[in-house]
Amino acid sequence: MRIERRLRQPRWLLVAVPACSLVFAFFATGIVLLATGHDALSSYRQIFDAAFLNSGALGQTLIAATPLAFTGLAAAAAFRMRLFNIGAEGQLYIGAITAAAAGLYLGGKGGPSAVAIAGMVAAGCAGGALWGLIPGILRAFFKTNEIITSLMLNYVAAYLLTYLIFNTESYWRDTTGFNASVFPTSKTLPDSAFWPGATIHLRGGIVLPLGAGIAVLVAILLWALYSRTRFGFEAQVLGDSPRAARYAGIRTRRKILAVMAISGAIAGLGGASQVGDFAHSLDGDPNGLQKQYYGYTGIVVAALARYNPLAVVLVAFLVGGLQNAGNTLQGADFPSGLVGVMQGIILFSALGGELLVRYRIRLGRTAAPATEPTA
Amino acid sequence: MNNSLLVVVLASGVAYGTPLLYAALGELLAERSGVLNLGVEGMMLVGAVTGFWAVQRLHTGAGLSLTAAMGVAALAGAALALIHAFLVITLRASQIVSGLALTIFAGAAGLSSYLGNDLNLSDNPARHQFHAVFPATVQKWPIVGPIIFGQNVLVYASWACVVAVSLYLTRTRLGLNVRAVGESPAAADAMGIKVVAYRYAHTLVGGAFAGIAGATFTLAITPQWVSGITGGAGWIAIALVIFAFWRPSLCLVGAYFFGALQALSPQLQAREIRLGPTELWTNTLPYVMTVLVLALVSASGARRRLGAPASLGLPYVREER
Amino acid sequence: MVATEEERGGAGGAPPTSAVSMRGITKRFPGVLANDRVDFEAAAGEVHALLGENGAGKSTLSNILTGLYRPDEGEIFLNGRPVRFQVPRDALDAGICMVHQHFRLVEPFTVAENVVLGDHRGEGRTFRLRHGLIERRVAELSKRYGLAVDPRARIWQLSLGEQQRVEILKALYREARILILDEPTAVLTPQEAELLFETLREMAAEGRTVIFISHKLHEVKAVADRVTVLRGGRSIATVAAADATLRSLAALMVGRELSGGSATRERTAGEAVLELENVWTQGDRGDAAVRGASLVVRAGEIVAVAGVAGNGQRELAETIAGMRAPTAGAVRIGGKPLRGGDPRTAIAAGIAYVPEDRLGTGVSPSLSIASNLVLRSYRGRSASRGPLLRLSRIREHAVEMIRHYRIAAPGPAAPARLLSGGNLQKVVLAREFSGEPRLLVAAAPTRGLDVGAIETVHAYLREAAAEGVAVLLISEDLDEILLLADRIAVMYEGAIVGETTRADASVEELGLLMAGGQDHHAD
Repeated sequence: MRIERRLRQPRWLLVAVPACSLVFAFFATGIVLLATGHDALSSYRQIFDAAFLNSGALGQTLIAATPLAFTGLAAAAAFRMRLFNIGAEGQLYIGAITAAAAGLYLGGKGGPSAVAIAGMVAAGCAGGALWGLIPGILRAFFKTNEIITSLMLNYVAAYLLTYLIFNTESYWRDTTGFNASVFPTSKTLPDSAFWPGATIHLRGGIVLPLGAGIAVLVAILLWALYSRTRFGFEAQVLGDSPRAARYAGIRTRRKILAVMAISGAIAGLGGASQVGDFAHSLDGDPNGLQKQYYGYTGIVVAALARYNPLAVVLVAFLVGGLQNAGNTLQGADFPSGLVGVMQGIILFSALGGELLVRYRIRLGRTAAPATEPTA
Repeated sequence: MNNSLLVVVLASGVAYGTPLLYAALGELLAERSGVLNLGVEGMMLVGAVTGFWAVQRLHTGAGLSLTAAMGVAALAGAALALIHAFLVITLRASQIVSGLALTIFAGAAGLSSYLGNDLNLSDNPARHQFHAVFPATVQKWPIVGPIIFGQNVLVYASWACVVAVSLYLTRTRLGLNVRAVGESPAAADAMGIKVVAYRYAHTLVGGAFAGIAGATFTLAITPQWVSGITGGAGWIAIALVIFAFWRPSLCLVGAYFFGALQALSPQLQAREIRLGPTELWTNTLPYVMTVLVLALVSASGARRRLGAPASLGLPYVREER
Repeated sequence: MVATEEERGGAGGAPPTSAVSMRGITKRFPGVLANDRVDFEAAAGEVHALLGENGAGKSTLSNILTGLYRPDEGEIFLNGRPVRFQVPRDALDAGICMVHQHFRLVEPFTVAENVVLGDHRGEGRTFRLRHGLIERRVAELSKRYGLAVDPRARIWQLSLGEQQRVEILKALYREARILILDEPTAVLTPQEAELLFETLREMAAEGRTVIFISHKLHEVKAVADRVTVLRGGRSIATVAAADATLRSLAALMVGRELSGGSATRERTAGEAVLELENVWTQGDRGDAAVRGASLVVRAGEIVAVAGVAGNGQRELAETIAGMRAPTAGAVRIGGKPLRGGDPRTAIAAGIAYVPEDRLGTGVSPSLSIASNLVLRSYRGRSASRGPLLRLSRIREHAVEMIRHYRIAAPGPAAPARLLSGGNLQKVVLAREFSGEPRLLVAAAPTRGLDVGAIETVHAYLREAAAEGVAVLLISEDLDEILLLADRIAVMYEGAIVGETTRADASVEELGLLMAGGQDHHAD
């Protein structure tokens, strides 16, 4: 059996393979379900209902999908240039920290304040960008492997997050109030720093969080950046062939720094959204935000979306639906952990299918090789 | 004296550090062959749940049950690793994405919980568990008593593993070959070494170790099954391999260091000692140090001596013939 | 020159059984006949040189002998017995070892570890590695053959010459009967080369067969017993080194056929556009690849740099194009010094560069043809407005280029890697020409192209010169050079060793210079 790289990627294949992977995944999961004595179809039905159809389901799905959209976009921005930023997790935490500080400082009484919210957005981006620049600088100037450095920084950010609430009387910590003396609690943001949502009058009203809207906007901007600007052109060339990039006069170091900053900023914005849209305080609980693994899941979302920003939003929505279903359906009736199993199998199928898109498989021995000699 | 903070923390550190050590040793072997497997957490959880299940189901004596359970856990870990190996070695998928997929598939919201739930494992404590090996009198010896002699057989076995892996890598032909595969698969291939076989083998063994590491939780540390019982230990193990510069002996040191840090927090709370910012530094120090050292290594070009196996994360494609 | 059959080393008149004999070897690749019924035969106890230019088929032949390629036709005999190699391991087991130009060493390992790696005979079978034992054996071998190297040293600590010794030790450790070395002196100082020749002679004296692949005449004369010359995929002659002269070998190597007529035309050269003054540049391996090259190219003239690939041409071209910074000397464009190491400055100064590595450097393979056509000009006003790309203009430009240069492509949006070699080259040329350059550097522009494409490329080069562009053509193909050039310089081991006008040039002289015939530096 020989595996050869394909020269041409037919359009139909680009659609057929993911579709078939999905079908295969449902099949495989169904087998697992049946083998363990569950009703596959009814489980699927339950998931679908819990994700999209039940009352309030769409709203919940959006809540689950919003952070995934941000981290997915962050991963897509970097991975497209072959910068393997797996630090979105930590960049999100740092963004949450800086955004919460901005919200606490700028917010006051009354309805949503544009100043406070804009401040939170800016702070979230800045925090995430700075955190992302650390592996960026190390990669650009010292050629240090960014996979390892960004991963290590995730742990640092996590400890910092916990520390601010649990181990110190910090700006973020609530020291007044009854609960606060018993258990470390974080300050709730002032009212005007609560991010508003737009209510869509369908099916009893679905709330579209501001963060979700921002995520869509960021997706469009990112898409435009990569396909319509000089910056994006240079990034594409650099990701495709570093030697051609040098030949073309592209400044590699600046690109690396810029892309890591952008990627970090988007993840940081996701952290700001967590604080502003949902938690309204800084969640330093080691069993809270840190166990959601939004950053890592975002990478997977980006991979499924083939690193296309617009597709990332769609995939984030679908995966968010799946996560939501998983949370909602905890209980005796529904096999727990099924969501993870399904997601995993979908991913495996997608990864396997990817091979078929990029390579062609030939069976049997071939007579002549297909390469040119070197001399 | 045996109740002093230091002794208690060190003794707990060894205990908590043991699953970290097993998982790190496994990941080290996989990475030495050039395969990055980020799915350690998932493999550990599946090992934990299957090992626990085996103990609950087997109606034999403690020794046999526990041994068989460890075997089951190792097999489960290896089976999961096989998925990752197939995807990244044969199908040349991205190692990062595949590893993350594995964690999602098998992790706290995935297969391990699925099995734990379906097999009703959360209700009862383990029928058998690993106890300390040495008699109580020995355990009471000053300092070394609790720290060294108060541990169970898994701890002692892990020491043997560190020695074995270390000798394997440095003093055997197979170990030389796998290191060559990790550093320069092209050179290894040119010398007739089967790159694919080595990568598969070491990734699977890595999974087996991770499975055993997980079972350490459910059969020794907290002998019961709770979904997500490993609590992120798999991720720490990944960091540990890097922190130890891919050397087994440093894995031992690092595992107990991390384990002690984990044990430190509750002990401090129980004794009502506040350390303030120092605690933040101690927790983050290992990671910050690793980043700094790696940066220095890359900058100075000493990467070849101290850095990651050169082909880590990259699929190997043999030139067409 | 006459092809002589060999009678050496054996008793009396009967030719001995050759250690290795390849008969009628033919190997085809898409579009290229790399080996055309080649006969090659080497005896035990001799150093046999394989001489020829790049593309002559030497590497292909040796790759067949080491089992990397399988021949389409022909047979291989070892000591009179036919053999067939399925995988490289078979050749290794049969006692054939090769020292490649790019070493197959594991850098963090010690010398001893590299030597013993993958060896599955004898000591190789044991589970335990006895480092002490292996290091002693390696030290013995290294002492016996004069290959001084510390068995405990790590590869990254060693110089290239020392690394090469490790490769040879690997072969000796495996008791290789046939050792093939591919252009071994490329990484050696003259003194190291001498040491190497001594080692090779010693190995031959033990009865082994040493096959020495090279394009350098004086080395071949210095170390070989017999020489087989390949040209254009065919074996031309096998001669005794003692009977041949540098001139005779050069003539065999380069050949005398000229295609077409020599198209001399009167070109009036304008002012100097490119001036190189004693330029030195580092190569990838840390050695000096360009050593004091000096050259002038004027507007409207075509200056060719002839030479076998690997003598610093690529590094020279990259220096001019700004991809490498010179360590000494000056590069001037239109009289003004060019800042080194910055491709943007070079592009802005009007330097166009057609690199020899089309697919790896000249284009971005996954990007569309349209994108590739603006790969170096996307910053200009016609392709972008501020930070935004003018996509429709880029597309129009692509359509126009495709039409004008007759590029066979599915469309401007198709990825570049789909194109055949000739069409890819047209894309690169189209891009470089359309930028209205002052200087055009073209490195091996017709390599791997079919006849029609070659004609087209030649026509563009002439057209460029006619429009006043200074053209620097770097090529190994003397026919092409004689066809196009006004002046010809020869590059050998990083320096310009000779310069002549078209009218005064002779193929023999050029071939001699290209192969180092003029001893211009101390040996």
